[in-house]
Amino acid sequence: MAGFLDNFRWPECECIDWSERRNAVASVVAGILFFTGWWIMIDAAVVYPKPEQLNHTFHTCGVFSTLAFFMINAVSNAQVRGDSYETGCLGRTGARVWLFIGFMLMFGSLIASMWILFGAYVTQNTDVYPGLAVFFQNALIFFSTLIYKFGRTEELWT
Amino acid sequence: MAGVKALVALSFSGAIGLTFLMLGCALEDYGVYWPLFVLLFHAISPLPHFIAKRVTYDSDAASSACRELAYFFTTGIVVSAFGFPVILARVAVIKWGACGLVLAGNAVIFLTIQGFFLVFGRGDDFSWEQW
Repeated sequence: MAGFLDNFRWPECECIDWSERRNAVASVVAGILFFTGWWIMIDAAVVYPKPEQLNHTFHTCGVFSTLAFFMINAVSNAQVRGDSYETGCLGRTGARVWLFIGFMLMFGSLIASMWILFGAYVTQNTDVYPGLAVFFQNALIFFSTLIYKFGRTEELWT
Repeated sequence: MAGVKALVALSFSGAIGLTFLMLGCALEDYGVYWPLFVLLFHAISPLPHFIAKRVTYDSDAASSACRELAYFFTTGIVVSAFGFPVILARVAVIKWGACGLVLAGNAVIFLTIQGFFLVFGRGDDFSWEQW
């Protein structure tokens, strides 16, 4: 049973060579996810304007997700690995701490959005759509961040 | 001469897109002109690409961080242009039929802009004089 699927191979698709276009495709997909998330939130804010339906403080989640998107993508992978030559007073450690805080903010707002969805909407027996909007906004920004950070390769830049 | 034909074809499709947009605004059933604000999105959608092209000088690299950021923002502008009429229809400012017409116009106009860059944007500056 072990190694049962070792010889199973997906036939190679020779139709399009994605290696040159990989970064562009990843950027476009990340952009679609990111801005779709924000427009979902705008939709919820427009349809449910009252604070009883959608508390205005729930927007904080998306704002911090966006801030984390910037923080995570503002440092390149080469900086974190320490491949770049210029070293400031913080250098590689600073880049790593910065990235760590960025990911903390990212996961924090994702978890907070889930908390909002269940704590403020599902268990309160109210209209659940604003909570879903908050959750989907943060989830889409989260996946957008992952794709923008790890979907691109930096070998194409040199 | 190929450039002239492409130019005529592109302006034709651009006119069709604008016609869809105006139909969504000006038909007697609809008559609300708020969707015309998507024209702003159409106007600023090529801007990130222009900025990135001006900033990155060397064309040796297959890609650059700046150009990818430009792709990101361009996608955002396109998504916004599609999201805006949907929001307007959600709050019943415009009807869903008008929203559909505006979305169709959006698709045609963005394909036109894309085609413009595919036809004329590939070469360097001298290609503008060639046709």
